[in-house]
Amino acid sequence: MPLLTLATFLPIVGGLVLMALPGRSARTVHTLSIGVTGLTFLLTLAIWANGTQPGGFAQVEELAWIPAIGAAYRLGVDGLSLPLVLLTSLLFLLSAIYSARLKDRAAAFVVLMLMLETASLGAFMALDALLFYVFFEVSLVGMYFMIAGWGHEDRQRAALMFFLYTLLGSLPLLLAILGLYLSSGTFDMRSWIDTPPPTGLAAMLALVAMLFTFAIKIPSFPLHTWLPAAHVQAPTVGSVILAGVMLKFGTYGLVRFALQMTPEAFAKAGLVILAFGVFSAIYGAFAALAQSDLKKMVAYTSVNHMGYIVMGVAVAALTIDPKIRAVALDGATLQMVSHGIVTGALFFLVGMLQDRTHSREMADFGGLLGRVPWLGWAFILSAFASLGLPGLAHFPAEFQIFLATLQTQPWAIVAILAIVVMAGLYLRSIAQVFLGEANEKWSAMPDLNRGEMWVIVPLLALTILIGVAPATLIDMIHTTMTSLSF
Amino acid sequence: MGRDLSFLIPELTLAVTAMLMLVAEMLRLPRLALALGLVGLAAATLLTIPVLAADTTVFGGTYRIDMLSGWAKLILLPGTGLALLLARAELAGQDREGSVYSLLCLVTLGALMLAGSGDMMLMVLGVVLTGLGSFALVSFPRDDAATEAGMKYLVFGSVTGAVMIYGLSFWFGGAGSTLYSELAQLDGRPLIATAGLLAVIAGLGYKASLVPFHFWAPDAYDGAPVAVAAYLSVITKIAAIFAFAQVLRDLPVSTGWPMVIALVAAVTMTLGYLTALVQANVVRLLAYSSVAQAGYFLLGIVALGASPLAIPAIIVFGAAYVAMNLGAFAVVMVAGRYLDDFAGLGRRRPGVGLAMVVFLLSLTGIPPLFGFVGKVYLFGAAIEAGFLWLAVIAILNSVLALGVYLRIVVPMYASVAAPGDAAPIAPPLAWAIVIAGIVTILMGAFVGILPG
Repeated sequence: MPLLTLATFLPIVGGLVLMALPGRSARTVHTLSIGVTGLTFLLTLAIWANGTQPGGFAQVEELAWIPAIGAAYRLGVDGLSLPLVLLTSLLFLLSAIYSARLKDRAAAFVVLMLMLETASLGAFMALDALLFYVFFEVSLVGMYFMIAGWGHEDRQRAALMFFLYTLLGSLPLLLAILGLYLSSGTFDMRSWIDTPPPTGLAAMLALVAMLFTFAIKIPSFPLHTWLPAAHVQAPTVGSVILAGVMLKFGTYGLVRFALQMTPEAFAKAGLVILAFGVFSAIYGAFAALAQSDLKKMVAYTSVNHMGYIVMGVAVAALTIDPKIRAVALDGATLQMVSHGIVTGALFFLVGMLQDRTHSREMADFGGLLGRVPWLGWAFILSAFASLGLPGLAHFPAEFQIFLATLQTQPWAIVAILAIVVMAGLYLRSIAQVFLGEANEKWSAMPDLNRGEMWVIVPLLALTILIGVAPATLIDMIHTTMTSLSF
Repeated sequence: MGRDLSFLIPELTLAVTAMLMLVAEMLRLPRLALALGLVGLAAATLLTIPVLAADTTVFGGTYRIDMLSGWAKLILLPGTGLALLLARAELAGQDREGSVYSLLCLVTLGALMLAGSGDMMLMVLGVVLTGLGSFALVSFPRDDAATEAGMKYLVFGSVTGAVMIYGLSFWFGGAGSTLYSELAQLDGRPLIATAGLLAVIAGLGYKASLVPFHFWAPDAYDGAPVAVAAYLSVITKIAAIFAFAQVLRDLPVSTGWPMVIALVAAVTMTLGYLTALVQANVVRLLAYSSVAQAGYFLLGIVALGASPLAIPAIIVFGAAYVAMNLGAFAVVMVAGRYLDDFAGLGRRRPGVGLAMVVFLLSLTGIPPLFGFVGKVYLFGAAIEAGFLWLAVIAILNSVLALGVYLRIVVPMYASVAAPGDAAPIAPPLAWAIVIAGIVTILMGAFVGILPG
């Protein structure tokens, strides 16, 4: 059974069915949406059960598309993409549950969300560069309409900025893809990975184009400026998908395209990329420290966490020891998953807080822990995970990245300072929002209801599970990463 | 003779159809004229399929039966059918309605001659035939705006046409023949080659609305009925582009024409979108956007001979352009001519709004829509031919394009809808939007059936 194709297109088919349904109520819309995303999640679990294989892609599905130019419909998974696929289908399922109370144009919202799920799953599983680009761009359109249609006060401007920024960002990738195509005659990513087609200057140009695209998507300093605006204005589900899933396009592309297809050029530029990663990590932490808006703060912590991933990939390119390389890439890939789970949870929690209070200003709150203990403890746990506390999801990932960095480019370990800043800013926000004197304004605030529990508890459980027992996940990633040849 | 004519069955079918439509118009039976037109166009399209694989010339090399001319028929004939539906929706019940239908078919006949021309005289004939019919179509409403538009169009067309004929006489003198296939003799005679090239750029560039011969386009489109504007923005433009391809692929590259065309392409794309950015009238906005799109077509032209992707690129993007641009104009007919008319359209008429989003995103080049596939071919062809800088300019212009098209999309969903009229859409118009929408969405996935 073509599980990958089923998982990719089930959401959008569900969306089309939804559009065709006459006289749908918000209730049927959300039932269908939870059903479809739930089924997709089960399908991705089945893909996981089928497993990956070392040294290449597993469960490949192939179909002719534009034979004249060597483009085909090709899907497959390996240890890099499968964790991201699982993360994607889980976050979309939780988003569907979270948005179940949405009444404003519910059908249109759900259709966009399902379209985004198809685009995201497709982007991670595509083995054809043109197909990847198609999914990559469709996700931009979906996110644009999600922000523009259901965002907060200044949504139009934020949506436009997001769309223009990321479209401008993605076009160099198209140039790079065309360049690789013209020097190889196919769009098959597997053949590009096995025998990287361009060399010398051509490879460096392709790499620069790809880095530009992925740096915007990641986002890495100095191309991150769209992120706070988009996040703050996006609806909660939009923020979760953006941070949890779509930022991973950037880091996934960094490994899959930049590192695997132009390895020599990447190694040459490795120090520069590493420096950008280090600076991003530190800059993101300090920028987050400067925020008084809770959502903006979480958004900037993404810049920090993604900076570590860039560091990990750069270190992997710089080292010559295959063991260290595997450790660095294991850490970077695990960090993608951890960030999706932890930051997803944080955005959900900030959204739940905003639903209750219509405010995101930390100064407006105070002493909420006594009022809403579930929400409070969930936030505190996620915040501790986000700052890298051992035993929680980010620790094993960041530990591996720092370990590899220390063995390869010891100076880059200065990025570890960012963890101190992160600890400070999270403790400050916890103190301001959940501890201290209770603000009377919120004395009637309800705690998490059952639907919200269903959203948050799985993420918290995974946060702890990955922190305590990351072995299952790392084994899968490690099999692929040790067999990367470049 | 018999062999030659057998290759021209689609053209002959179309010619006979246009005559019969005139008869129907004389009998005051516009609906019959419309029906005849649709049936005739469908028949001509089907009759093209048997000769699609042919690669030959007829009548002493003056008319080419090849991939370009074959696909021109498969693109332009159905496109004209869509334009007939639009015209019906806009002009139903008006006086002289049937003559519009037959004129549309006649102009398409001229367009097919341009697309298949293998001889300078045939190119002139095609330019004149498409021109005469178009002037009449533009001034059809007989009001001040339409008359002015028609006049401008006519004067511009006459001057550029005369310049073209003058310049072609240089080529004739240099090559000793009016056949394109003899143009190879111009190798090493750059002055003669350049004189003729500039003249051809003037004549065909006017038809394709390339900068700096585009000034007529916004005025003519705005004065003409929207259906006619839609028609002119696709059918005659694509015919001119195909004629460019036919003539330039025989002109020796040593004359330096690819660089000239590349410069024209860069200026056309950029200026077209920059001007479109400040329009408040959607018809004029789409007019400037179609100027810019003509620049994209030239990416395929510059790669002729240097990249095997060039001709497929022109064909694929041509097919996409017909569907998406006609579709966008069709939505303008539903919504109204001004940007303000689009406020709340997406909420008032969700289906039409969705269709417009699809057409505009396809014009921008967002995957997986048809326009994106066309642009991938075009960029690939240009890069392979060594015009990376032109591809970069084209790609940067895509961002400008997004800005242009989002100016229509944003108000569609942003503003709260005034509880305005949601009068039912005329069935032919609805059909045109649905067909154009389906082609734009699905052909991205099934582009494998197109040539390459």
